[in-house]
Amino acid sequence: MPKEKVYTTCDNALVDIADGDTILIGGFAGFGVPRGLIAALCQKSVRGLTCVYSPGSWPEYAKPSGIGQLVANGQVEKLISAWPFTQDNGEIVKNAWRSGDLEIEIVPQGTLAERLRAAGAGLGGVFIPTGVGTRFAEGKETRTFDQYECIFELPLKADFALVKAHTADTLGNVVYRGSGRNLGPVMAMAANVSIAEAARLCEPGGIDPEAVISSGIFVNRVVQVPNP
Amino acid sequence: MLEAKRLDDNARARRVAQELQPGATVALGSGLPALVPQELPSDTSIQFLTESGMLGSLVLGVEPSVHSGFLDSNGLPIAFQPGASVNSTVDLAAMLRGGQVDTAIIQVSQVSGVGDFTHWTSAETPELFGPGFSVDLAAGARRVIAMMPHVNEDGSSNIVMECSTPIDGAGCIDLIVTDIAVIGVTASGLQLLEVAQGWRADDVIALTQAQLISSQDLVEMNSGCPPFDASVNKPSEKLFASGLDALSDLPNGAVVMIDGFAGPGGTPHYLLTSLRDHGAKNLTIISNTAGIARVVNFGTPPGKQAIDHTILFDNQQVKKAIASYPVSPSASRPTAFELAYRRGEVELELVPQGTLAERLRAGGAGVAAFYTPTGVGTLISEGKETRVIDGKEYVLEEALRSDFCIIRGHQADALGNVVYKGTSRNFNSVMAPAAAVTVVEVDEVVEPGKLDPETIITPGIHVNRIVIRPSDFSAYE
Repeated sequence: MPKEKVYTTCDNALVDIADGDTILIGGFAGFGVPRGLIAALCQKSVRGLTCVYSPGSWPEYAKPSGIGQLVANGQVEKLISAWPFTQDNGEIVKNAWRSGDLEIEIVPQGTLAERLRAAGAGLGGVFIPTGVGTRFAEGKETRTFDQYECIFELPLKADFALVKAHTADTLGNVVYRGSGRNLGPVMAMAANVSIAEAARLCEPGGIDPEAVISSGIFVNRVVQVPNP
Repeated sequence: MLEAKRLDDNARARRVAQELQPGATVALGSGLPALVPQELPSDTSIQFLTESGMLGSLVLGVEPSVHSGFLDSNGLPIAFQPGASVNSTVDLAAMLRGGQVDTAIIQVSQVSGVGDFTHWTSAETPELFGPGFSVDLAAGARRVIAMMPHVNEDGSSNIVMECSTPIDGAGCIDLIVTDIAVIGVTASGLQLLEVAQGWRADDVIALTQAQLISSQDLVEMNSGCPPFDASVNKPSEKLFASGLDALSDLPNGAVVMIDGFAGPGGTPHYLLTSLRDHGAKNLTIISNTAGIARVVNFGTPPGKQAIDHTILFDNQQVKKAIASYPVSPSASRPTAFELAYRRGEVELELVPQGTLAERLRAGGAGVAAFYTPTGVGTLISEGKETRVIDGKEYVLEEALRSDFCIIRGHQADALGNVVYKGTSRNFNSVMAPAAAVTVVEVDEVVEPGKLDPETIITPGIHVNRIVIRPSDFSAYE
C-alpha cells in the first residue's frame, strides 16, 4: 500500500516542521504562492527558519503571501532571495533586517533555480558563467571551460518545500498553472519533504501523464486548499 | 538646453523596439522593458520571454483577467498569441545561459564606460542590492539593451566612469537608451549615436560623467526611422520539405546527437535514413545506444531489418560514438558498432546513461560542468577529477553540445513547439536545447495554439527545423 500522501489540513501537513529548518516557498508576483501552508506555518511555534522565497515583482492586485507575517512573528532567521523587499512585505522584512533580527542572502534568480535543481538532481555542484566579475563571484571558486569563466555553485538543499499546485492527484503528481509554475518544480525536487497545496485534488489518472510537471516521486504530501 | 524635451517612457520604448529583429527571442526584465512590446505591430513574430517563465508573441491592447495566470515581468497579466509556452524558472534560466536568447532589455540605474551595470532593483535595495533576474538576463543574452534616465533628479549622471553601486554584470551592456540619447558601448569606449530632438551632442556629453565620443553620423532619436516593416516580419520557416533538405548543410566531421532510447520507439528513423543518404562522413554521434534495435529484432516484421544507427556504420559515416550502451545484450549478436570498434574503425566514449542525460542537459542549459556521484570508484571516473563535497565523493563531468541533433517528436506547431508521445520523450527533450541546429521529425504539424502552453515540452526556441515523417514511412527496411 503506497504511503498516504493526502493531508486534511495544512497544519497537519506541517506536523514535523522543526526549529531551524530550511523551507522553500514558491511563488512569482503573487501567483503560485502556497498561502494556506504559509498561514499554517505562522500559527506554529517553530522558529529560526531559513526561508527561500524569491517572488519577483509584486503587483498591487496580488493578495499578501503571509511571508510578512512569518517574519513579523520572528520565526524567520534567514531569507534567501533575489528580491528581498517587495510590495508584499517590504517594510516588515526591511525593518527586521535593519534591526539585525533577520539575515538576508541575495542570490540571482537563475542561479537560485540552478542550485535548487542541482540539489534535486543529486549533483555535488555546478559551474555556471552567471555572475562572473560581480559580487556574486566573491569567495567562490572560478574555473575556465572552453574560454568561458565559470563560478562554482553549490546545491541548495532544504528540509521542506511548500509549493502551490493547480491540480494534484493523490499520488502527488502535480500540474501548475501559468506563471504559478516558476520555482515550484525545482523546489519540489530539492527538499526532503515537499508539500503541494492544490485547489483541486483528483484520483490517479485524473491528470494526463504527459501533462504532469512534478511527478509524485518528488511530492510527499498533498493538501487541498480552496482558492481564496 | 535644459528646456529641451526629454523622451517619455513610451517614446524611449519605441526607440528600443526598433532594435528588435523579426523572429528574434527577446527577454524582458522588470520595469520599463514591459513597455517595449506595445511599440511593435501586433502581428510581430518576436518571441518575448518574461521573468515569469512565459514565452511567446504578445496580444496587445487587451487587458486579460488577473486570474489568467500569464504574467509579464512586472507581475501584470498579459495575453499571448497562440503558440506560447509556459516554462519554469529553471528552464528560463537554462534558455538564457544556453544561448537561446537574442536580446535582453533591462532597466538599469547605472552603466559604466565599459558596459558594467547596476540593475534598478539593486539600486532600490541599498546594502543588499537584490538584482532579481537581471544578472542572468544580462549574462545570457547575445545583446543587452539598457534603458534608463540619463540623469537623476539631482542632476548626477547615470552613465559613469565606474559604477558607484555593486554591479550586476561586468561588461554586459551593448546599447544604452536614455531619455535624451542612444549610446553604443564599444571596445574603444562609449559612442554617442543619437540625441533626442532639440538636443545637441555637447549637451548630452556635458550630462554624462563617463567619457563619451560623438559619432560622425549622429542622428536624431525616433526620427526618420521606418516603422517596423510587417512585410519582412515573417517567422523564419522551420518546416522543411524533406529530411534531406533539413540536413543539407550538415558538414563532414559534424557532431550529431541522435535521439532514441534503444528500441524502435522514439527514434527518428526517417531522419536517420536522410543522414545516411546525405552521406556526411567522420561524424561523432552522441546517442544512448548505437544500433541495438537491429540485433535485438524485437517486433521486427519477418524479412525486414530495424532502422537504427547501424545504417550509419554500414555506410562508414561514423568515426566516434559517445554512448551509454553501444553494445548488444547478446554477445552472439554484436551491433554494427561493436564490429566496427573491434576492427579499429571507430572510437568510443562510454558514458553512464544518467550522466549522458545530465551532460546533455548541461550543454543546453549553459552549465559548463557538474559534479555527479555516478561512476565514482569505477572505470568511468578514471582520468577525471574527483572531489569530496560535504562528505560525499563526486566526479567532474563536462557538458555536451553538438552541431546538429535529430530527434523524434509527436506533434509540432509551425513555431517549433514540440510535444512527445510516451517514453519517446526520453533523450529528445534534453538533446533539443543542446545542439546548434535541432531537427525534429514529427507525425503531424498543427496550428499554433493547438498545443496547450502548459504541456509543451520543447518550446520552439530550441527547434530550428521540422520535417514530417512520411505517413507510409516504416521503421524497418
